Amino acid sequence: MYGIDIDDPKVALERTEFVHADTRHSLLTKLVRGLAVDTVVHCATLTEGRNSHRTVHETNVIGTMNLLAACSGADSPVRRVVVKSSVAVYGCEPFAPSYLRESMVDRAQVRDFLANDLREMEQLVQDFQVRNGVIAVTLLRLGRRLGFHEVTPLGEYFLLSRVPTFHGFDPRIQLLHDDDGVEALYRAAVADHAGVFNVAGDGVLLLSQAIKLAGRRQLPVLLPFWRAIARSELRVTGYDMPASIADFLAYGCVVDIDPIEREFGWRPPHATRDTLHDFLERGSNAELPSSGPQEYELSQYLLHRRRARAAR
Amino acid sequence: MDLTSSEERLRHQLGLLYTDVNAELRRRGPNGHRKNGRQAGRRVPRLRVPAPVPDAIEKIKAELPVLALQMVGELSLRLRELTGRDVIDLATMMAIVQFFSQQVELANRGEEMTVDDFGFDQEWTESLLPIFQWMYRHYWRVETTGVEHVPAEGRALLVSNHAGVLPWDGAMIKTSLFEEQPNPRHARALIAQFFFGLPYLSWFLRRTGQTVGHPDDSIRLLEREQLVLVFPEGVKGTGKPWSERYRLRRFGRGGFVQVALQAQAPIIPISVVGSEEIYPMLGDIGPLARLTGFPYFPVTPLFPWLGLLGTVPLPSKWRIQFHPPIRTDLMGPEAAEDQNLVMTVSDQVRDTIQQGLYDNLKLRRSIWY
Repeated sequence: MYGIDIDDPKVALERTEFVHADTRHSLLTKLVRGLAVDTVVHCATLTEGRNSHRTVHETNVIGTMNLLAACSGADSPVRRVVVKSSVAVYGCEPFAPSYLRESMVDRAQVRDFLANDLREMEQLVQDFQVRNGVIAVTLLRLGRRLGFHEVTPLGEYFLLSRVPTFHGFDPRIQLLHDDDGVEALYRAAVADHAGVFNVAGDGVLLLSQAIKLAGRRQLPVLLPFWRAIARSELRVTGYDMPASIADFLAYGCVVDIDPIEREFGWRPPHATRDTLHDFLERGSNAELPSSGPQEYELSQYLLHRRRARAAR
Repeated sequence: MDLTSSEERLRHQLGLLYTDVNAELRRRGPNGHRKNGRQAGRRVPRLRVPAPVPDAIEKIKAELPVLALQMVGELSLRLRELTGRDVIDLATMMAIVQFFSQQVELANRGEEMTVDDFGFDQEWTESLLPIFQWMYRHYWRVETTGVEHVPAEGRALLVSNHAGVLPWDGAMIKTSLFEEQPNPRHARALIAQFFFGLPYLSWFLRRTGQTVGHPDDSIRLLEREQLVLVFPEGVKGTGKPWSERYRLRRFGRGGFVQVALQAQAPIIPISVVGSEEIYPMLGDIGPLARLTGFPYFPVTPLFPWLGLLGTVPLPSKWRIQFHPPIRTDLMGPEAAEDQNLVMTVSDQVRDTIQQGLYDNLKLRRSIWY
């Protein structure tokens, strides 16, 4: 097992060999062929957090393009590719159906640059699948996380002492537990499940309900229209709300997770409500392990599973 | 001069409502005089607030409804003495106070509050029912027939004509299922996508069980054995001018039939008479509609001349008729692909509703009775 990143790993890797590399094409081609990689789990996509449009585009679109190019070709040893995407790809539209299915991604450009870049990235992945029929490509659209180790902007939102909300809106929200995200990536990495799948928690919460459960006070002070004004208002108070989250907090976004259950035989076990509870419990401990991003959790997890299996 | 006597005097003099009396008293200050310099009499010592202030406030808050009710009771007694008849109906007052205290209670729900997958808050929706029941019984005096055609359980697609600038017809159909059915059911209406982008309205619609008018949503609801209410005319129906009242518009593209076939749900046509007269639409200001993004900007005898007061619907006489269900289980789900069959069923439903409209219009003596 090999881990690739531009930074040093933040947790101790035991049975994973670490390679310093970025997503430059020439490097990756050599790596893939040199190490005879058969399964690629591509987690180096930015789906949460505060990144500039440029960074997101370079990482998600160009990075993925290079990686897929390295994996393609007649002499490629790769047999399975898992790509991490996000439910942000749907964008948050007020008139979206109550449960978004995998096929309901509009190809049209939307306001949110993250959604646009993810759409472009997914298009690349789908083109790759068409050109390389023998490779099983799994695209996982992970739900919005609160972040147990590295708190995401959405997680920060629920930890604000007074939670500002959009006036006149109370959307349904759906969250993904970090452990479920990792497990979904693991399951996709160890078996062929070609296709696109939503991964998110069961059930929904109203935003007001979630704020109440978090023991916070709701302040409906943000203007219902003109997101930019609301976001600059918030920036003054010290909370930088990414654009993709602003729409989410006004209109909500809920995806259908029946398809992943049908294909994987597994349904993310943590419901939205449980995820929020877990997050608040761990958050109140204030003793967060300084762990790396999701890809390292994955390797740890894989290791753990493999050991458990070996012990049996 | 003590407080109670001045309060009573005020009440006799002015016949004000309790709250107004209170406001007046507060304005006059503790001495019962206006505060404009003529401060006479002994000063009332300032009340010392007990230490746990929040507790005291909570206590007052909790007792306020009871106190208010007591005051209203007293007031109604005195008014009866004065005028010799019941000016304030105590039972109504009781219901109003109860309604507000229940709203406060529901707003303070914490962990135990649940909504379904579509954001429907059943408990809260049912708490609003008294308002709609009053409209149903006393304001529009709705007469409903054929409610036995609605199944006591299991899925069904209710299809109705749509009229009136605001969707009161949907509210009344939903209320009728609560008023007339032996076991009340919630109908889940499908609403035009546009309304879900609006603040407050989108919130209210979701909370009370409505969802986006998308085929995916309706099939999902039907598969959960729910009653789904659709208005195939959409905004073309609500925004039609007064001269074209009770003439059905095009029934979409028959999408509702496809949904019913796919979900194997019976179609129950509904004719609603009376909804056309609540806001007689005399004109439509196109530019204003475009400016606000609304599908139409209505001009009625009261709106926009009277502002918000113009949104009060007129008290027409209503009749709702549920027609016998059209079975879809005989055709099978694959029939949804058969465009010919879909349009045939769609026309059949439309004709049934149109005929029902004519029948019920004949049964009505006038618009108002």
